[in-house]
Amino acid sequence: MMERYNVSLKVNGELVALNVRAGETLLESLRERLELTGAKEGCGLGACGSCTVLLNGLPTRSCIVMTAELDGAEVQSIEGLADGTDLDPLQERFMEKGAVQCGFCTSGMIMTAKGLLNRNPKADKGDIIRTMSSNLCRCTGYKKIVEAVEAVSSMSEPENK
Amino acid sequence: MISSEFKYICPKSIEEALERFGEFQGEAVYLSGGTDLVPRMKLGLKKPRAVIDLKDVASMSTVAEEGDYIRIGSLAQLFQLKQTDLVSNRFPALAASLEATSCETLQVRGTIGGNLLQNTRCLFYNQSEFWRRSKGFCLKMGGEKCNAVPGAKKCFANYTSDNAPALCTLQAEVAFAGPNGSRRFKLESLYTGRSDDPFDLEPGEILTDIFVPNKTVAGGYEKLRVRGAVDYPLLGVAFSRGSDSGRLAVGAVGPRPYTVELNEPAQDAMGEAVATVINQVKTVENTVLESAYRKRMIPVLAERLIKKVMEGAE
Repeated sequence: MMERYNVSLKVNGELVALNVRAGETLLESLRERLELTGAKEGCGLGACGSCTVLLNGLPTRSCIVMTAELDGAEVQSIEGLADGTDLDPLQERFMEKGAVQCGFCTSGMIMTAKGLLNRNPKADKGDIIRTMSSNLCRCTGYKKIVEAVEAVSSMSEPENK
Repeated sequence: MISSEFKYICPKSIEEALERFGEFQGEAVYLSGGTDLVPRMKLGLKKPRAVIDLKDVASMSTVAEEGDYIRIGSLAQLFQLKQTDLVSNRFPALAASLEATSCETLQVRGTIGGNLLQNTRCLFYNQSEFWRRSKGFCLKMGGEKCNAVPGAKKCFANYTSDNAPALCTLQAEVAFAGPNGSRRFKLESLYTGRSDDPFDLEPGEILTDIFVPNKTVAGGYEKLRVRGAVDYPLLGVAFSRGSDSGRLAVGAVGPRPYTVELNEPAQDAMGEAVATVINQVKTVENTVLESAYRKRMIPVLAERLIKKVMEGAE
């Protein structure tokens, strides 16, 4: 008999109650139960970063976290980033700089950048490259992605305004 | 998805964790950050009947000065640990190895205890069940042949903790709580020297703390990897230098870190130390880089490192 676990999560500000088997990952819960398909499964082993979401504010690879261990946690996915029709500055700059091609890595890229800027709103180019380079992109190259994150980061510096 | 069935248990104390472990006759595993364990379970390399999550055992995540030692709780998060002043000011070798561990997103999840107790890795072992079944199970899977070295009767998987070599150069000790009581010993004694079963531990023992002698030691860490942004080490070299001695440790080229003491903390003594390590190391074709190259890079990284550390000390 499969054992199941009750888990309460706050996902993008909304409380959700899930009943999962121990082996279900956070990525599966998001995509298959909550129909939040923005986070993508790439490698499935925590190496590529396309499944990155914020877990209690920290960028986390949701494919290697078990939902059963998250009772009471807060999750923010790409779907929770915009405020109604107002996009997050990161989303705006990704569009503006053309930092998206096929789009598969994009939500992971943006959530990783979000985690960085939450921690360090004035991240410089070096910080951005170091953080973003652990997420794999196979189309655009990283130049435009780094530029997009840099544009948001420099917005928080008053002297650049 | 982890396809095997198991129970998830989240005890509130070490005593409770040990008790719950006992209920599963050795078929339970402990979980900290999960960055090593969960991928292993997804690949079907580990199919425990129970996963015992240690994250609510709060006492295990603190870092504090304790007399002659700095005590690092095994659940200390890698990312926080590298930013802890006690670590970055006193143990540059450890600060550098923490910085080199994987990437920020995984450092945020991974713990120092989990990093030390990560399983050994091999190109022919860390693969899906389908892949491994097609090839025929290797020695580490309980099969009869090594898939990396034809005809070999022993396993050659590599122990790829970045932080273990650094902690070996700092003469760190590790403390375990177990069903038969607690014990504390030198980190170097943790290893069996066998790649298929790398840790000399009793079933159920929990790594609770790492103790590092409380004195500032100059040092550093150099790492060989293909993808600078993430990746396990394909070779790791750590060096720490006291006032009249030095220690060199080389990791990721066998089942344990290879540690050598230098009689004098000078560049001249390095050649001999490196030769001692190279004599013990047998690299084989079980990573994405050629074995001969990895071995030849040992003196290269060692020299680069000692130069950097000596220059920094001047």
